[in-house]
Amino acid sequence: MISLIRSEIYKIRKQSKTLYALAAILIIEGFVIVSAYYQGTGIIDLLLANLKDSFEFKGNLLNGNLIIYLILNSLWFHIPLILMIIISGFLTSEYKDRTLETVLLQPVSKLNFILSKYIVSIVFTLLIVLLLAVSTFFVSYWIFGRGDLVVYLDGLNFFESDEAFYRLIYAFISGANSMIFFSVVSLTLAVILKDATKTWIVSAIFLICSNLLLKIDFQNEFLNELFFSKLTDSWQYFFYYKIPYSTIYFKNFMLFGYTLITMIIGIIIFKRRDIQL
Amino acid sequence: MILEARNISKSYGSLEVLKNVTIECHKGKIYGLIGANGAGKTTLFRILLGLIKQDCGSIEIDSQGIKPIGGIVEKPALYGYLSAFGNLKVFAQIQGLKLTKELYSQSMQQVGLSTKRTDVVKNYSLGMKQRLGLAIALLNNPECIVLDEPFSGLDPMGIIALHELIKKLSSQKQITIIISSHIVKELTDLCDTLYVLNEGEIIKKGPSAELLNASVTTYKIVGNNLEMSEVLQSINAIFSNKSAFVSPKTMSITEILQKLIEEGQEVTACIPQTDLKALFGGGKI
Repeated sequence: MISLIRSEIYKIRKQSKTLYALAAILIIEGFVIVSAYYQGTGIIDLLLANLKDSFEFKGNLLNGNLIIYLILNSLWFHIPLILMIIISGFLTSEYKDRTLETVLLQPVSKLNFILSKYIVSIVFTLLIVLLLAVSTFFVSYWIFGRGDLVVYLDGLNFFESDEAFYRLIYAFISGANSMIFFSVVSLTLAVILKDATKTWIVSAIFLICSNLLLKIDFQNEFLNELFFSKLTDSWQYFFYYKIPYSTIYFKNFMLFGYTLITMIIGIIIFKRRDIQL
Repeated sequence: MILEARNISKSYGSLEVLKNVTIECHKGKIYGLIGANGAGKTTLFRILLGLIKQDCGSIEIDSQGIKPIGGIVEKPALYGYLSAFGNLKVFAQIQGLKLTKELYSQSMQQVGLSTKRTDVVKNYSLGMKQRLGLAIALLNNPECIVLDEPFSGLDPMGIIALHELIKKLSSQKQITIIISSHIVKELTDLCDTLYVLNEGEIIKKGPSAELLNASVTTYKIVGNNLEMSEVLQSINAIFSNKSAFVSPKTMSITEILQKLIEEGQEVTACIPQTDLKALFGGGKI
Protein backbone atom coordinates (compact mmCIF):
# COMPACT_ATOMS: atom_id res chain seq x y z
CA MET A 1 0.00 0.00 0.00
CA ILE A 2 2.76 2.43 0.97
CA SER A 3 4.60 1.65 -2.27
CA LEU A 4 1.41 2.32 -4.25
CA ILE A 5 0.97 5.67 -2.50
CA ARG A 6 4.60 6.55 -3.16
CA SER A 7 4.27 5.70 -6.85
CA GLU A 8 1.09 7.82 -7.06
CA ILE A 9 2.95 10.77 -5.52
CA TYR A 10 5.83 10.23 -7.96
CA LYS A 11 3.39 10.32 -10.90
CA ILE A 12 1.70 13.48 -9.61
CA ARG A 13 5.06 15.19 -9.18
CA LYS A 14 6.06 14.36 -12.75
CA GLN A 15 2.82 15.47 -14.41
CA SER A 16 2.69 18.96 -15.86
CA LYS A 17 -1.00 19.30 -14.96
CA THR A 18 -0.01 19.41 -11.29
CA LEU A 19 1.93 22.58 -12.03
CA TYR A 20 -1.07 23.98 -13.89
CA ALA A 21 -3.22 23.34 -10.80
CA LEU A 22 -0.75 25.11 -8.55
CA ALA A 23 -0.45 27.96 -11.04
CA ALA A 24 -4.26 28.26 -11.29
CA ILE A 25 -4.59 28.55 -7.53
CA LEU A 26 -1.83 31.13 -7.26
CA ILE A 27 -3.34 33.09 -10.18
CA ILE A 28 -6.72 33.22 -8.43
CA GLU A 29 -4.99 34.38 -5.28
CA GLY A 30 -2.95 36.96 -7.20
CA PHE A 31 -6.05 38.17 -9.02
CA VAL A 32 -7.92 38.80 -5.74
CA ILE A 33 -4.92 40.60 -4.27
CA VAL A 34 -4.41 42.82 -7.35
CA SER A 35 -8.15 43.60 -7.53
CA ALA A 36 -8.20 44.43 -3.85
CA TYR A 37 -5.11 46.58 -4.20
CA TYR A 38 -6.70 48.75 -6.89
CA GLN A 39 -10.39 48.60 -5.95
CA GLY A 40 -10.29 47.62 -2.30
CA THR A 41 -11.02 51.04 -0.87
CA GLY A 42 -14.07 51.30 -3.10
CA ILE A 43 -15.40 47.98 -1.83
CA ILE A 44 -14.91 48.99 1.80
CA ASP A 45 -16.59 52.36 1.16
CA LEU A 46 -19.55 50.61 -0.40
CA LEU A 47 -19.77 48.16 2.47
CA LEU A 48 -19.59 50.80 5.15
CA ALA A 49 -21.44 53.63 3.41
CA ASN A 50 -24.36 53.71 5.87
CA LEU A 51 -22.27 53.08 8.95
CA LYS A 52 -19.85 55.87 8.17
CA ASP A 53 -22.63 58.37 8.81
CA SER A 54 -23.07 57.10 12.38
CA PHE A 55 -19.61 55.81 13.36
CA GLU A 56 -16.05 56.97 13.09
CA PHE A 57 -13.60 54.33 11.83
CA LYS A 58 -9.95 54.40 12.78
CA GLY A 59 -7.17 52.54 10.97
CA ASN A 60 -7.21 50.88 7.57
CA LEU A 61 -9.94 48.29 7.04
CA LEU A 62 -8.40 47.25 3.73
CA ASN A 63 -5.77 45.08 5.39
CA GLY A 64 -4.28 41.62 5.09
CA ASN A 65 -7.06 39.97 7.10
CA LEU A 66 -9.76 41.26 4.74
CA ILE A 67 -7.75 40.08 1.71
CA ILE A 68 -7.31 36.64 3.30
CA TYR A 69 -11.06 36.52 3.91
CA LEU A 70 -11.73 37.44 0.27
CA ILE A 71 -9.36 34.71 -0.93
CA LEU A 72 -10.90 32.28 1.53
CA ASN A 73 -14.17 32.78 -0.33
CA SER A 74 -12.64 31.07 -3.37
CA LEU A 75 -13.42 27.89 -1.39
CA TRP A 76 -17.03 28.32 -2.56
CA PHE A 77 -16.33 27.54 -6.19
CA HIS A 78 -12.89 28.19 -7.70
CA ILE A 79 -10.74 25.96 -5.52
CA PRO A 80 -13.14 22.97 -5.42
CA LEU A 81 -13.59 23.23 -9.20
CA ILE A 82 -9.83 23.15 -9.82
CA LEU A 83 -9.43 20.31 -7.32
CA MET A 84 -12.23 18.30 -8.92
CA ILE A 85 -10.71 18.70 -12.39
CA ILE A 86 -7.21 17.74 -11.28
CA ILE A 87 -8.18 14.91 -8.97
CA SER A 88 -10.63 13.24 -11.34
CA GLY A 89 -7.77 13.41 -13.87
CA PHE A 90 -5.68 11.19 -11.58
CA LEU A 91 -7.93 8.33 -12.63
CA THR A 92 -9.44 9.37 -15.97
CA SER A 93 -5.96 9.79 -17.45
CA GLU A 94 -5.19 6.21 -16.41
CA TYR A 95 -8.33 5.08 -18.24
CA LYS A 96 -7.55 7.18 -21.32
CA ASP A 97 -3.92 6.10 -21.61
CA ARG A 98 -4.82 2.51 -20.61
CA THR A 99 -2.09 2.59 -17.96
CA LEU A 100 -4.71 1.32 -15.51
CA GLU A 101 -4.53 -1.96 -17.41
CA THR A 102 -0.75 -2.10 -17.17
CA VAL A 103 -0.92 -1.34 -13.45
CA LEU A 104 -3.44 -4.10 -12.83
CA LEU A 105 -1.39 -6.54 -14.88
CA GLN A 106 1.14 -6.32 -12.05
CA PRO A 107 0.54 -8.12 -8.76
CA VAL A 108 -1.53 -5.21 -7.39
CA SER A 109 -4.99 -5.56 -5.86
CA LYS A 110 -7.77 -3.37 -7.22
CA LEU A 111 -8.72 -2.41 -3.66
CA ASN A 112 -5.23 -1.20 -2.78
CA PHE A 113 -4.90 0.65 -6.07
CA ILE A 114 -8.12 2.64 -5.76
CA LEU A 115 -7.62 3.17 -2.04
CA SER A 116 -4.19 4.65 -2.73
CA LYS A 117 -5.80 7.00 -5.29
CA TYR A 118 -8.28 8.20 -2.67
CA ILE A 119 -5.59 8.64 -0.01
CA VAL A 120 -3.31 10.56 -2.38
CA SER A 121 -6.25 12.72 -3.51
CA ILE A 122 -7.00 13.65 0.10
CA VAL A 123 -3.34 14.42 0.80
CA PHE A 124 -3.12 16.46 -2.42
CA THR A 125 -6.24 18.42 -1.42
CA LEU A 126 -4.81 19.17 2.02
CA LEU A 127 -1.54 20.32 0.49
CA ILE A 128 -3.35 22.61 -1.96
CA VAL A 129 -5.40 24.19 0.84
CA LEU A 130 -2.22 24.52 2.92
CA LEU A 131 -0.42 26.17 0.00
CA LEU A 132 -3.36 28.53 -0.50
CA ALA A 133 -3.48 29.39 3.20
CA VAL A 134 0.25 29.87 3.72
CA SER A 135 0.77 31.90 0.55
CA THR A 136 -2.34 33.97 1.25
CA PHE A 137 -1.33 34.84 4.81
CA PHE A 138 2.24 35.57 3.76
CA VAL A 139 1.47 37.77 0.73
CA SER A 140 -1.55 39.53 2.27
CA TYR A 141 0.22 40.50 5.48
CA TRP A 142 3.33 41.46 3.55
CA ILE A 143 1.50 43.78 1.14
CA PHE A 144 -1.47 45.01 3.18
CA GLY A 145 -0.35 44.55 6.77
CA ARG A 146 -2.51 43.46 9.68
CA GLY A 147 -5.66 45.13 10.94
CA ASP A 148 -9.19 44.57 12.14
CA LEU A 149 -11.45 42.45 9.98
CA VAL A 150 -14.89 43.53 8.86
CA VAL A 151 -17.13 40.81 7.43
CA TYR A 152 -20.71 41.00 6.21
CA LEU A 153 -22.50 37.85 7.38
CA ASP A 154 -26.13 38.39 8.34
CA GLY A 155 -24.93 41.88 9.25
CA LEU A 156 -21.55 43.47 9.74
CA ASN A 157 -19.19 41.71 12.13
CA PHE A 158 -15.97 43.27 13.33
CA PHE A 159 -13.04 41.29 14.69
CA GLU A 160 -9.84 42.55 16.14
CA SER A 161 -6.69 41.66 14.26
CA ASP A 162 -5.50 38.84 16.54
CA GLU A 163 -8.96 37.29 16.74
CA ALA A 164 -9.37 37.57 12.96
CA PHE A 165 -6.08 35.69 12.51
CA TYR A 166 -7.18 32.58 14.40
CA ARG A 167 -10.71 32.68 12.93
CA LEU A 168 -9.19 32.70 9.43
CA ILE A 169 -6.90 29.77 10.30
CA TYR A 170 -9.80 27.74 11.67
CA ALA A 171 -11.85 28.59 8.59
CA PHE A 172 -9.11 27.22 6.34
CA ILE A 173 -8.96 24.02 8.43
CA SER A 174 -12.74 23.58 8.30
CA GLY A 175 -12.76 24.51 4.61
CA ALA A 176 -10.19 21.77 3.94
CA ASN A 177 -12.79 19.22 5.06
CA SER A 178 -15.26 20.59 2.48
CA MET A 179 -12.56 20.51 -0.19
CA ILE A 180 -11.81 16.87 0.67
CA PHE A 181 -15.49 16.06 0.17
CA PHE A 182 -15.53 17.61 -3.31
CA SER A 183 -12.24 15.90 -4.23
CA VAL A 184 -13.51 12.49 -3.16
CA VAL A 185 -16.77 13.07 -5.06
CA SER A 186 -14.81 13.89 -8.22
CA LEU A 187 -12.70 10.73 -7.92
CA THR A 188 -15.84 8.63 -7.42
CA LEU A 189 -17.37 10.30 -10.48
CA ALA A 190 -14.19 9.37 -12.38
CA VAL A 191 -14.62 5.75 -11.27
CA ILE A 192 -18.19 5.77 -12.56
CA LEU A 193 -17.77 7.78 -15.77
CA LYS A 194 -14.15 6.90 -16.73
CA ASP A 195 -14.06 9.69 -19.34
CA ALA A 196 -12.34 12.98 -18.41
CA THR A 197 -14.71 15.39 -20.15
CA LYS A 198 -17.84 13.71 -18.82
CA THR A 199 -16.37 13.72 -15.31
CA TRP A 200 -15.47 17.42 -15.52
CA ILE A 201 -18.96 18.36 -16.68
CA VAL A 202 -20.70 16.28 -14.04
CA SER A 203 -18.29 17.55 -11.35
CA ALA A 204 -18.98 21.17 -12.30
CA ILE A 205 -22.74 20.52 -12.29
CA PHE A 206 -22.42 18.81 -8.90
CA LEU A 207 -20.54 21.79 -7.50
CA ILE A 208 -22.99 24.34 -8.90
CA CYS A 209 -26.02 22.38 -7.68
CA SER A 210 -24.38 21.88 -4.30
CA ASN A 211 -23.89 25.64 -3.93
CA LEU A 212 -27.44 26.37 -5.10
CA LEU A 213 -28.97 23.75 -2.80
CA LEU A 214 -27.10 25.27 0.13
CA LYS A 215 -29.23 28.39 -0.18
CA ILE A 216 -32.53 26.58 -0.62
CA ASP A 217 -34.77 25.97 2.34
CA PHE A 218 -36.11 22.41 1.98
CA GLN A 219 -38.93 23.10 4.48
CA ASN A 220 -37.77 19.95 6.21
CA GLU A 221 -35.59 19.99 9.29
CA PHE A 222 -33.92 16.67 8.54
CA LEU A 223 -32.90 17.73 5.00
CA ASN A 224 -31.95 21.22 6.11
CA GLU A 225 -29.55 19.81 8.67
CA LEU A 226 -28.29 16.61 7.12
CA PHE A 227 -28.37 16.97 3.33
CA PHE A 228 -24.79 17.08 2.08
CA SER A 229 -25.08 20.48 0.42
CA LYS A 230 -26.01 22.02 3.78
CA LEU A 231 -22.78 20.81 5.32
CA THR A 232 -20.14 22.32 3.05
CA ASP A 233 -20.23 25.85 4.49
CA SER A 234 -19.03 25.24 8.04
CA TRP A 235 -15.93 27.39 7.44
CA GLN A 236 -18.16 30.44 7.08
CA TYR A 237 -19.45 29.98 10.62
CA PHE A 238 -16.14 31.22 12.03
CA PHE A 239 -17.15 34.73 11.01
CA TYR A 240 -20.26 34.96 13.15
CA TYR A 241 -19.72 37.15 16.17
CA LYS A 242 -20.21 34.14 18.45
CA ILE A 243 -18.72 31.03 16.87
CA PRO A 244 -21.28 28.16 16.89
CA TYR A 245 -18.74 25.44 17.61
CA SER A 246 -21.29 22.66 18.08
CA THR A 247 -22.82 23.37 14.65
CA ILE A 248 -19.35 23.47 13.08
CA TYR A 249 -18.34 20.16 14.67
CA PHE A 250 -21.62 18.54 13.69
CA LYS A 251 -21.42 19.75 10.08
CA ASN A 252 -17.80 18.66 9.72
CA PHE A 253 -18.48 15.28 11.27
CA MET A 254 -21.48 14.64 9.01
CA LEU A 255 -19.61 15.85 5.94
CA PHE A 256 -16.74 13.52 6.76
CA GLY A 257 -19.33 10.74 6.92
CA TYR A 258 -20.56 11.68 3.44
CA THR A 259 -16.94 11.68 2.25
CA LEU A 260 -16.41 8.17 3.61
CA ILE A 261 -19.67 6.89 2.08
CA THR A 262 -18.77 8.41 -1.32
CA MET A 263 -15.35 6.80 -1.10
CA ILE A 264 -16.78 3.40 -0.19
CA ILE A 265 -19.23 3.60 -3.12
CA GLY A 266 -16.33 4.39 -5.48
CA ILE A 267 -14.24 1.52 -4.12
CA ILE A 268 -17.10 -0.98 -4.45
CA ILE A 269 -17.87 0.08 -8.04
CA PHE A 270 -14.19 -0.03 -9.02
CA LYS A 271 -13.67 -3.44 -7.43
CA ARG A 272 -16.73 -4.99 -9.03
CA ARG A 273 -16.15 -3.67 -12.52
CA ASP A 274 -14.08 -5.43 -15.14
CA ILE A 275 -11.11 -3.46 -16.35
CA GLN A 276 -12.40 -2.76 -19.81
CA LEU A 277 -11.25 0.49 -21.32
CA MET B 1 1.51 -27.74 -16.97
CA ILE B 2 2.02 -24.07 -16.09
CA LEU B 3 -1.37 -22.71 -17.12
CA GLU B 4 -4.69 -24.37 -17.59
CA ALA B 5 -7.85 -22.49 -18.49
CA ARG B 6 -10.83 -24.80 -18.52
CA ASN B 7 -14.30 -24.24 -19.95
CA ILE B 8 -14.06 -20.46 -19.94
CA SER B 9 -17.23 -18.66 -20.99
CA LYS B 10 -17.98 -14.97 -21.13
CA SER B 11 -21.03 -13.09 -22.35
CA TYR B 12 -21.90 -9.43 -22.70
CA GLY B 13 -25.68 -9.33 -22.55
CA SER B 14 -26.92 -11.75 -25.16
CA LEU B 15 -23.57 -11.80 -26.99
CA GLU B 16 -21.53 -14.89 -26.15
CA VAL B 17 -17.92 -13.83 -26.59
CA LEU B 18 -16.30 -17.03 -25.32
CA LYS B 19 -17.89 -20.48 -25.23
CA ASN B 20 -16.28 -23.23 -23.18
CA VAL B 21 -12.74 -22.32 -24.13
CA THR B 22 -10.04 -24.64 -22.81
CA ILE B 23 -6.32 -24.07 -23.28
CA GLU B 24 -3.35 -25.81 -21.70
CA CYS B 25 0.18 -24.45 -21.67
CA HIS B 26 3.45 -26.10 -20.69
CA LYS B 27 6.58 -24.51 -19.31
CA GLY B 28 8.94 -22.91 -21.80
CA LYS B 29 6.70 -23.41 -24.83
CA ILE B 30 5.27 -20.77 -27.16
CA TYR B 31 1.56 -20.92 -27.90
CA GLY B 32 -0.28 -19.02 -30.60
CA LEU B 33 -3.89 -17.94 -30.50
CA ILE B 34 -5.19 -17.19 -33.93
CA GLY B 35 -8.60 -16.05 -35.02
CA ALA B 36 -10.51 -13.53 -37.05
CA ASN B 37 -11.47 -10.10 -35.72
CA GLY B 38 -14.01 -10.45 -32.96
CA ALA B 39 -13.19 -14.12 -32.39
CA GLY B 40 -12.62 -13.44 -28.68
CA LYS B 41 -8.81 -13.47 -28.48
CA THR B 42 -8.43 -10.25 -26.49
CA THR B 43 -11.30 -11.19 -24.16
CA LEU B 44 -9.62 -14.52 -23.45
CA PHE B 45 -6.32 -12.77 -22.77
CA ARG B 46 -7.96 -10.24 -20.47
CA ILE B 47 -9.49 -13.13 -18.54
CA LEU B 48 -6.17 -14.98 -18.33
CA LEU B 49 -4.55 -11.80 -17.02
CA GLY B 50 -7.29 -11.22 -14.46
CA LEU B 51 -8.51 -7.93 -15.93
CA ILE B 52 -12.02 -9.25 -16.45
CA LYS B 53 -13.88 -12.07 -14.78
CA GLN B 54 -15.16 -15.08 -16.69
CA ASP B 55 -18.82 -16.04 -16.25
CA CYS B 56 -17.80 -19.65 -15.70
CA GLY B 57 -14.78 -21.89 -15.97
CA SER B 58 -11.53 -22.04 -14.08
CA ILE B 59 -7.97 -20.83 -14.51
CA GLU B 60 -5.07 -22.49 -12.76
CA ILE B 61 -1.54 -21.20 -12.90
CA ASP B 62 1.10 -23.43 -11.38
CA SER B 63 3.51 -20.83 -10.07
CA GLN B 64 4.77 -19.93 -6.63
CA GLY B 65 6.13 -16.55 -7.77
CA ILE B 66 4.84 -13.13 -6.70
CA LYS B 67 3.75 -12.52 -10.27
CA PRO B 68 2.65 -15.76 -11.93
CA ILE B 69 1.61 -14.13 -15.20
CA GLY B 70 2.47 -10.92 -17.00
CA GLY B 71 1.55 -9.50 -20.33
CA ILE B 72 0.60 -6.77 -22.74
CA VAL B 73 -2.95 -6.39 -24.00
CA GLU B 74 -3.20 -4.71 -27.40
CA LYS B 75 -0.67 -1.84 -27.50
CA PRO B 76 1.68 -1.28 -24.56
CA ALA B 77 0.16 1.32 -22.23
CA LEU B 78 2.86 3.41 -20.57
CA TYR B 79 3.13 6.74 -18.79
CA GLY B 80 4.08 8.97 -21.71
CA TYR B 81 5.25 11.80 -19.45
CA LEU B 82 7.81 9.56 -17.74
CA SER B 83 11.12 8.25 -19.06
CA ALA B 84 11.80 4.54 -19.47
CA PHE B 85 13.44 4.66 -16.05
CA GLY B 86 10.41 6.46 -14.60
CA ASN B 87 8.02 3.88 -16.05
CA LEU B 88 10.06 0.95 -14.79
CA LYS B 89 10.37 2.68 -11.41
CA VAL B 90 6.58 3.12 -11.07
CA PHE B 91 5.74 -0.41 -12.16
CA ALA B 92 8.52 -1.92 -10.04
CA GLN B 93 7.52 0.12 -7.00
CA ILE B 94 3.85 -0.88 -7.08
CA GLN B 95 4.84 -4.54 -6.90
CA GLY B 96 7.30 -4.01 -4.09
CA LEU B 97 10.49 -4.04 -6.18
CA LYS B 98 13.19 -1.44 -5.77
CA LEU B 99 14.48 -0.35 -9.16
CA THR B 100 18.22 -0.32 -8.62
CA LYS B 101 20.61 0.69 -11.38
CA GLU B 102 21.46 -2.98 -11.85
CA LEU B 103 17.81 -4.01 -12.20
CA TYR B 104 17.19 -1.12 -14.59
CA SER B 105 20.16 -2.09 -16.80
CA GLN B 106 19.22 -5.76 -16.67
CA SER B 107 15.57 -5.06 -17.56
CA MET B 108 16.51 -2.79 -20.46
CA GLN B 109 19.22 -5.09 -21.80
CA GLN B 110 16.88 -8.06 -21.60
CA VAL B 111 14.60 -6.45 -24.16
CA GLY B 112 17.35 -4.83 -26.19
CA LEU B 113 16.79 -1.22 -25.13
CA SER B 114 19.52 1.30 -24.43
CA THR B 115 19.79 2.77 -20.95
CA LYS B 116 21.20 5.97 -22.41
CA ARG B 117 17.85 7.44 -23.45
CA THR B 118 16.48 9.70 -20.77
CA ASP B 119 13.69 11.42 -22.68
CA VAL B 120 10.02 10.75 -22.07
CA VAL B 121 8.42 7.61 -23.43
CA LYS B 122 5.91 9.48 -25.61
CA ASN B 123 8.84 10.14 -27.96
CA TYR B 124 9.51 6.41 -28.40
CA SER B 125 8.63 4.41 -31.50
CA LEU B 126 5.97 1.70 -31.20
CA GLY B 127 8.66 -0.98 -31.35
CA MET B 128 10.52 0.59 -28.44
CA LYS B 129 7.29 0.92 -26.48
CA GLN B 130 6.60 -2.77 -27.12
CA ARG B 131 10.03 -3.62 -25.76
CA LEU B 132 9.59 -1.42 -22.72
CA GLY B 133 6.13 -2.90 -22.17
CA LEU B 134 7.72 -6.32 -22.29
CA ALA B 135 10.41 -5.25 -19.81
CA ILE B 136 7.60 -4.16 -17.44
CA ALA B 137 5.74 -7.43 -18.01
CA LEU B 138 8.95 -9.30 -17.15
CA LEU B 139 9.47 -7.52 -13.81
CA ASN B 140 9.31 -9.96 -10.91
CA ASN B 141 10.07 -12.88 -13.27
CA PRO B 142 6.65 -14.22 -14.27
CA GLU B 143 6.63 -17.78 -15.53
CA CYS B 144 4.06 -17.02 -18.17
CA ILE B 145 3.70 -14.05 -20.53
CA VAL B 146 0.63 -13.17 -22.60
CA LEU B 147 1.17 -10.94 -25.63
CA ASP B 148 -1.87 -9.69 -27.51
CA GLU B 149 -1.06 -8.72 -31.11
CA PRO B 150 2.57 -7.85 -30.32
CA PHE B 151 3.54 -7.44 -34.00
CA SER B 152 0.70 -5.07 -34.83
CA GLY B 153 2.03 -1.75 -36.12
CA LEU B 154 5.68 -2.81 -36.13
CA ASP B 155 7.90 -2.38 -39.18
CA PRO B 156 9.59 -5.52 -40.62
CA MET B 157 12.78 -4.92 -38.63
CA GLY B 158 10.75 -4.46 -35.48
CA ILE B 159 8.90 -7.70 -36.15
CA ILE B 160 12.18 -9.61 -36.60
CA ALA B 161 13.65 -8.11 -33.43
CA LEU B 162 10.57 -8.91 -31.34
CA HIS B 163 10.42 -12.37 -32.86
CA GLU B 164 13.99 -13.07 -31.73
CA LEU B 165 13.33 -11.64 -28.30
CA ILE B 166 10.30 -13.87 -27.75
CA LYS B 167 12.26 -16.95 -28.85
CA LYS B 168 15.11 -16.01 -26.51
CA LEU B 169 12.76 -15.58 -23.54
CA SER B 170 11.22 -18.95 -24.20
CA SER B 171 14.42 -20.90 -24.79
CA GLN B 172 16.77 -19.21 -22.32
CA LYS B 173 14.43 -18.32 -19.48
CA GLN B 174 11.91 -21.12 -19.93
CA ILE B 175 9.06 -18.60 -19.93
CA THR B 176 5.77 -19.84 -21.33
CA ILE B 177 4.52 -17.37 -23.94
CA ILE B 178 1.03 -17.08 -25.35
CA ILE B 179 0.70 -14.81 -28.38
CA SER B 180 -2.19 -13.73 -30.51
CA SER B 181 -1.68 -12.30 -33.94
CA HIS B 182 -3.34 -11.71 -37.25
CA ILE B 183 -0.04 -12.37 -38.96
CA VAL B 184 -0.26 -16.10 -39.56
CA LYS B 185 3.34 -16.35 -40.79
CA GLU B 186 4.71 -14.92 -37.55
CA LEU B 187 2.83 -17.43 -35.46
CA THR B 188 3.85 -20.34 -37.71
CA ASP B 189 7.52 -19.51 -37.33
CA LEU B 190 7.31 -18.76 -33.63
CA CYS B 191 4.80 -21.03 -31.95
CA ASP B 192 5.02 -24.66 -30.94
CA THR B 193 1.26 -25.04 -30.68
CA LEU B 194 -1.59 -23.10 -32.22
CA TYR B 195 -5.14 -22.62 -30.99
CA VAL B 196 -7.69 -21.39 -33.51
CA LEU B 197 -10.51 -19.37 -32.02
CA ASN B 198 -13.65 -18.77 -34.05
CA GLU B 199 -16.71 -16.96 -32.74
CA GLY B 200 -15.66 -17.63 -29.16
CA GLU B 201 -14.88 -21.32 -29.60
CA ILE B 202 -11.61 -23.20 -29.98
CA ILE B 203 -12.19 -24.96 -33.27
CA LYS B 204 -8.69 -26.34 -33.87
CA LYS B 205 -5.55 -26.97 -31.88
CA GLY B 206 -2.29 -28.68 -32.62
CA PRO B 207 1.34 -28.23 -33.64
CA SER B 208 1.65 -25.03 -35.68
CA ALA B 209 3.20 -26.60 -38.78
CA GLU B 210 0.61 -29.39 -38.92
CA LEU B 211 -2.30 -27.03 -38.48
CA LEU B 212 -1.09 -24.60 -41.09
CA ASN B 213 -0.16 -27.29 -43.60
CA ALA B 214 -3.67 -28.64 -43.33
CA SER B 215 -4.97 -25.20 -44.30
CA VAL B 216 -2.74 -24.80 -47.35
CA THR B 217 -4.80 -25.18 -50.51
CA THR B 218 -2.82 -22.96 -52.87
CA TYR B 219 0.86 -22.54 -53.71
CA LYS B 220 2.56 -19.54 -55.20
CA ILE B 221 5.20 -20.65 -57.73
CA VAL B 222 7.74 -18.01 -58.71
CA GLY B 223 9.89 -18.25 -61.82
CA ASN B 224 10.58 -16.93 -65.34
CA ASN B 225 8.16 -17.33 -68.25
CA LEU B 226 5.75 -19.42 -66.21
CA GLU B 227 2.89 -18.29 -68.50
CA MET B 228 4.42 -20.49 -71.24
CA SER B 229 4.25 -23.65 -69.11
CA GLU B 230 1.84 -26.27 -70.51
CA VAL B 231 1.78 -28.03 -67.12
CA LEU B 232 0.56 -24.88 -65.36
CA GLN B 233 -1.96 -24.11 -68.10
CA SER B 234 -3.33 -27.62 -67.88
CA ILE B 235 -4.09 -27.28 -64.16
CA ASN B 236 -5.69 -23.84 -64.60
CA ALA B 237 -2.99 -21.87 -62.76
CA ILE B 238 -3.62 -18.17 -62.25
CA PHE B 239 -0.71 -16.04 -63.49
CA SER B 240 0.30 -12.79 -61.92
CA ASN B 241 3.56 -10.84 -62.13
CA LYS B 242 6.14 -13.64 -62.66
CA SER B 243 4.13 -15.91 -60.37
CA ALA B 244 1.57 -18.64 -60.78
CA PHE B 245 -0.99 -19.63 -58.18
CA VAL B 246 -1.91 -23.29 -58.28
CA SER B 247 -4.42 -25.28 -56.28
CA PRO B 248 -3.38 -28.93 -56.75
CA LYS B 249 -6.30 -31.30 -57.20
CA THR B 250 -5.38 -34.03 -59.67
CA MET B 251 -1.70 -34.12 -58.70
CA SER B 252 0.39 -33.13 -55.70
CA ILE B 253 2.58 -30.02 -55.51
CA THR B 254 5.68 -32.26 -55.64
CA GLU B 255 4.52 -33.75 -58.93
CA ILE B 256 3.74 -30.30 -60.35
CA LEU B 257 7.21 -29.01 -59.45
CA GLN B 258 8.86 -32.11 -60.91
CA LYS B 259 6.95 -31.70 -64.18
CA LEU B 260 7.90 -28.01 -64.36
CA ILE B 261 11.57 -28.93 -64.05
CA GLU B 262 11.17 -31.63 -66.70
CA GLU B 263 9.54 -28.99 -68.90
CA GLY B 264 12.65 -26.83 -68.47
CA GLN B 265 11.01 -24.10 -66.39
CA GLU B 266 13.19 -22.11 -64.02
CA VAL B 267 11.38 -22.20 -60.66
CA THR B 268 12.90 -19.91 -58.02
CA ALA B 269 10.39 -20.37 -55.19
CA CYS B 270 7.31 -22.29 -54.13
CA ILE B 271 5.42 -20.65 -51.28
CA PRO B 272 2.48 -22.35 -49.56
CA GLN B 273 -0.52 -20.02 -49.25
CA THR B 274 -2.53 -20.56 -46.10
CA ASP B 275 -6.25 -20.43 -46.71
CA LEU B 276 -7.23 -18.17 -43.85
CA LYS B 277 -10.92 -18.91 -44.29
CA ALA B 278 -10.23 -22.60 -43.93
CA LEU B 279 -7.95 -21.98 -40.96
CA PHE B 280 -10.35 -19.61 -39.20
CA GLY B 281 -13.29 -21.89 -39.81
CA GLY B 282 -15.00 -19.58 -42.26
CA GLY B 283 -15.06 -16.57 -39.91
CA LYS B 284 -14.60 -12.98 -41.01
CA ILE B 285 -10.95 -12.13 -41.57
